[in-house]
Amino acid sequence: MATMSEQPGNVFGATLTRRQFVKTGGALVVGFSLVGTEILKADTPKSAAMKNSLDPSLPSSWIEIHPDNTILIRTGKNDFGQGTTFTAYRQIVADEMSVPFEAITTVVQGSTDATPDGSGAFDFLGRGDPNIRKAAAYTYQALLDLAAERLGVAKGKLTVKDGIVSGGGKSISYGDLVKGQQLKLTIPVAGDLTSIMGLRITGNPPMKPVSEYKVIGKSYQNSVIVSKVQAKETWATDVRLPGMLHARVVHPKTLGSTLVSAGQVDKGKFPNSQVIVKGNLVGVVAPTEWEAIQAAQQVASGTKWTEWKGLPGNAKLYEYLKNDADWTTAPVQKGNGNKGDADAVLASAHKKLSATYQFPYMKHAPIGPTMAVADVKTDGTVHIYTHNQNPQELRGEIAMMLGTTADHVIVHAYPGPGHYGRSNGGNAGAEDEAVLLSQALGKPVRVQWMRADDMQWSTQAAAAFSEIQLAVDEKGKMAAYQVDHFMPPMQDDRPIGAVLAGLPTMPAPKADNDRITSTINGVSDPWVYAQVPNVTERGHGTFQVGQKASPLAVGLRDHSMRTPVQFQQNYPRELAVSEAAALAGVDAIQFRIDNATEERAIGVLKAAREASRWDTRPSPRPDAVATGSKPVHGRGVSLMYRNLTYWACVCRVVVTPDTGAINVEECTMAVDPGIVINPAQLKRQVEGGVVMGVSNALLEEVMFDESGITQDDWISYPILNMSDIPEIKVVLINNPKVGTYGGGSEAPNALVASAIAASLHDATGKVLRRIPLKPAYVQALLKA
Amino acid sequence: MATITVNGVKREVHAPGDTPLLYVLRNELQLIGPQFGCGLAQCGACSVLIDGKEVRSCITSLSDVAPNQEITTLEGLPARWAKQKGLSAEEAKHTLHPVQQAWIEEQTPQCGFCQNGMMIKATELLESNPHPTIGQIKEAFTTAGVSPNLCRCGTYTAIIEAVQHAATIMAKGR
Repeated sequence: MATMSEQPGNVFGATLTRRQFVKTGGALVVGFSLVGTEILKADTPKSAAMKNSLDPSLPSSWIEIHPDNTILIRTGKNDFGQGTTFTAYRQIVADEMSVPFEAITTVVQGSTDATPDGSGAFDFLGRGDPNIRKAAAYTYQALLDLAAERLGVAKGKLTVKDGIVSGGGKSISYGDLVKGQQLKLTIPVAGDLTSIMGLRITGNPPMKPVSEYKVIGKSYQNSVIVSKVQAKETWATDVRLPGMLHARVVHPKTLGSTLVSAGQVDKGKFPNSQVIVKGNLVGVVAPTEWEAIQAAQQVASGTKWTEWKGLPGNAKLYEYLKNDADWTTAPVQKGNGNKGDADAVLASAHKKLSATYQFPYMKHAPIGPTMAVADVKTDGTVHIYTHNQNPQELRGEIAMMLGTTADHVIVHAYPGPGHYGRSNGGNAGAEDEAVLLSQALGKPVRVQWMRADDMQWSTQAAAAFSEIQLAVDEKGKMAAYQVDHFMPPMQDDRPIGAVLAGLPTMPAPKADNDRITSTINGVSDPWVYAQVPNVTERGHGTFQVGQKASPLAVGLRDHSMRTPVQFQQNYPRELAVSEAAALAGVDAIQFRIDNATEERAIGVLKAAREASRWDTRPSPRPDAVATGSKPVHGRGVSLMYRNLTYWACVCRVVVTPDTGAINVEECTMAVDPGIVINPAQLKRQVEGGVVMGVSNALLEEVMFDESGITQDDWISYPILNMSDIPEIKVVLINNPKVGTYGGGSEAPNALVASAIAASLHDATGKVLRRIPLKPAYVQALLKA
Repeated sequence: MATITVNGVKREVHAPGDTPLLYVLRNELQLIGPQFGCGLAQCGACSVLIDGKEVRSCITSLSDVAPNQEITTLEGLPARWAKQKGLSAEEAKHTLHPVQQAWIEEQTPQCGFCQNGMMIKATELLESNPHPTIGQIKEAFTTAGVSPNLCRCGTYTAIIEAVQHAATIMAKGR
């Protein structure tokens, strides 16, 4: 039996305690203590949230070292196809702890009762300093302390290789250091578990110098792929609980309809089905999935809703945003790079551009519509089985909906179809509906949205428009840049089932909500042209389109989608900068280099220029032509700084003026993330981002009438297919002197549209300042 | 009650005849390779092979499948390859279908949700055309079937590379 012994040891602010004389096993378990003002101020529900996840005496720890030298790591973040938790996280831990990649045998992620820190799958690398890295750094220091004591050698004289500590002619493995003991390392954290950012590890444990990295920088494989390609992985879609019922939801007729009367089940046809109504939430449940689908269709046809017409319709979207939306309630935001007097320079400039750029609503469009299984127990405990980017925040939202505390809600995380940001603020759509139906029936319920539900009732990326004015001087440089970005709120985290049922949620978007869910539109695209002397960037926010007019207060609900807000702001900027280069008569890449100072920005531009065999000259090309059936070639460039990574993109396109068809032949992406953790995985992420970007740029636009979204399938909302992909060249620039890991899965999708639009200008001499670059829109431009 | 042949085994199933095969496979036979993507035969996530041809199980009624027709799901790909190559039972246990092996070695999936259909399509293609060109691969995954096979993560490049790699593995017969 264990007996407590010894005083706790201090490890750079962390605390190491031990119980010795364990007969079998033993482990070093890294947990944490709760410090920091945010935690101390946490109210009761937040404290209760920690009961299932955060009690350090429970096995919900970050890192466990076992006597057989294997290591387990845990993270509240949940893989969405980036593979980061299975590759980069292992590599980071391996190098911080001086163990081989293979020593980390288990990765536990996402589930709220089995992981420590929360937050979403949008920031795996934690702006260069992810929790898992600090947890590993603390653990390494604790292991050195233990070894120093055991070997009788000063800590500073120890060396570690492959998990074996040596010094003074002696050595011992990590496994032997922890064998026979129960060691618990308690490390400091701060933050709010069920918020979007979750908990973060504080303090400053020494980190491994980059020069000592052995595992980071190599292309290790993603272990979860092995089980996924063999159908051996349990997906959220595969979860089946005893007595579980299948459900479909009959969503309202419009985004502002309320229920008049729910249809009845035809018991002759569907004897085992039943209708559950809660406010405006109508669910149909049955023991088998096929009966639930058919019964829901039959019930839907007999369900009556009020009519509602409160949307402008997509044809009048920008007119509405410009003239009718209320931009006065959210304070105007200013860019960090603002300087000089752009107004004055623009007033007297002789070469000047003044233009408006339009960005449509886009769908996340996961290949599988959202679904979840919920099991509300008689004691009020709620279990949710789902695919979610931020399970801890979902917990908080479900607890709020039910009027309970988060310790009653456990979210079990499983793989599922990527949905690119839709649930990084908690819910994806079906979880809350499953909970309400399970609560009503006292049985586990599986809610699966159909394709039309996912197109019409999920959130989308916000539409936007930007008004840009810029001036170029006699020397061909940018003299002034001014932009006003206008966008409805990008993040509505209210669960839609709770809204329909009339149950508590966080408030609808408004100016004084928490920053992320407020109507305030910040300037999110870091300014990269430091040589420009006069810069004014402003962000203007408003309510969701339709929100104020809808009895449900929902309208066109928006939610972060891959490179959120920065896509909406970088696209207009980069197209405008290409236009500025043309105005100045300077090559578009050289113009960017001439207006930047940051070496890494210039580096990615030069790398993209070389890899794409860029011919330096001004745009449009000398033989640009906007008419005829003969295809004409063009090329364009874009630049972005996001999440510690510099990106440059070059596209080459072919335009057929008569039809307006654009074929993207080639896309080159140069990436400088600082330290490249895993080249092969990063390359795949970039390729995927490019494909999504071409899809966004050429095809994607949410169509809606005055009542709701009119697209309901893959024909009406097409995405890119394999035939239309460009040849993709990825240039990875490993830049270890930067010392941080930049993000790699966002950004590429957002760089493509502006580079294609600049290519169209290069080819034809005409600029289309809206996306998507659909043939009809391009044709209309070229004929004008 | 109906009888279908799935992955080489005759199975009795109880679902009504108008039930889409997808729900029979997933909910009654616990074969989870095929996924529900659209229910409209527009994406390919639910694909299976029926007598070697790629079929969308979301719109194929149970009653449309004859008892002697061979349904192969993702789970059945290794055995399908083992049978084609005449591998022993012991060898077969440790052998993946070359398409699966290539998908791992090329690190093709991202979220992986569509990849069932992609691997089924690749198997169909390579069984009839052991050395497809890039143009033929693109054709197979877009215009040849009832709809394009859609991937939202954008893994098309990785799929093309994996199909070519699988062709190499198959040619070697390992």
